[in-house]
Amino acid sequence: MNQASLSTDIRRDLVALLPRLRRFALTLTGNAPEADALVREVADRAIQKSHHWKGEDRLENWLFSMMRSRADEARKRKRVDPDAADSGNAPGNHNSSNALLSMPEGFASALLLADVEGFTYAEGAAILSIPTDQFVARLCAARLKLSSVGTATSERRA
Amino acid sequence: MGTFKPSPLELQLSAYIDGQANERDRQDVEELLVNDPQARALHDALKHGAETGRRAFEDMLKEPVPLDLVRAIRNAALPRKAIRLPHAPHPTLSFKPSGPQIAATCLVLFLLGGGIGYLVGARPVASETELISATAANGRDWLDDIIAHYRLYARQTDHLAEIPAERPADILEWLTTNTGVGFRIPDLSDSGLTFQGARLFAAGDVPVGQLLYRRTDGDGDGDVVAISFTKTRLEGNRSIEEIRNDTGLVSWVTPLATYMVVGPSSAADLDDIAAKAAGLI
Repeated sequence: MNQASLSTDIRRDLVALLPRLRRFALTLTGNAPEADALVREVADRAIQKSHHWKGEDRLENWLFSMMRSRADEARKRKRVDPDAADSGNAPGNHNSSNALLSMPEGFASALLLADVEGFTYAEGAAILSIPTDQFVARLCAARLKLSSVGTATSERRA
Repeated sequence: MGTFKPSPLELQLSAYIDGQANERDRQDVEELLVNDPQARALHDALKHGAETGRRAFEDMLKEPVPLDLVRAIRNAALPRKAIRLPHAPHPTLSFKPSGPQIAATCLVLFLLGGGIGYLVGARPVASETELISATAANGRDWLDDIIAHYRLYARQTDHLAEIPAERPADILEWLTTNTGVGFRIPDLSDSGLTFQGARLFAAGDVPVGQLLYRRTDGDGDGDVVAISFTKTRLEGNRSIEEIRNDTGLVSWVTPLATYMVVGPSSAADLDDIAAKAAGLI
């Protein structure tokens, strides 16, 4: 496969993966504008660096790892520059999403990777760059948090 | 940052739901689920939480993707031209033999062929040791060993380097003596990398020197990036850039040694680092 066709392929793959990339980005940023900016940045990077991708693992592993890395960097910038922290922090417009995205940092990502994307504990931990024990704890905590949110909602409705 | 820490029972039940509990834990949990109503309630709560999360995430996929995002990806600029890393020089030979030269070459080849035939006939089977050495010395084994060492040490916090960065003279003497490769310690602070120290190990049966850097600025803070070098040559003397086992690697070859930059697969600037290191090492 030559360079041009490889680039075309990864663009096509990126577009196909776009909804899932946005969803993972949302768990990292907590809001749609920042998630879209993150997806755009990572997609651009993946296209530029597509020669690194040899098709041996799932493309998502590489993209999710890159996305997490960029999100960590952005989070660090925000801590240094408080003005940046105020920008684009609009909450999501879905209640179920809000419950997910308002969980403590890293909980929603662990839940998404394990319960929805089907990554193993070790793969999920590698993507989030944390020890496996910490990944397992975040996953469990996320389930417990969501369980109580679900129960509270049901009780209110009753 | 979340400080909520699940109890051991909660963790055990969560792993059980995922089928990740070991045999002993699984039996314990199943017994608890039969006899302990509180454990049963906790188990149901965890399953309910997982299901709630799954549904919420499925709902997120129903939201329309911004069209400008799709267009931006479809119309993204093609990758820039790959950075050219140094290669071993390819000698250019002009081949215009005269008649007497051809005759002399034929005679030499005849004698050489006869000599090789005699040697093969006298010792037809290669020794087992030679076969093992040939297998171990191929490029793939060497690269896999490099990756394995990187993955082992990159996770060390206290024992990353064998000789710390504060002893550069020791590092230069130790690695040059053992690898036979002269080198300098590149300053990669422009790439957000801080030198941590060095190691010596064997890969593909030959000594390999490794300079270890930690990212202290920019993407992936804390990530370890290593520059390895050895006298071993990669097959075909070519540079490679690829991802193996969640680890990215970029190599280049000079007439004297083979060098390789190794880092996490999420580090998209390994080729830039390799290009800088190639000019500094």
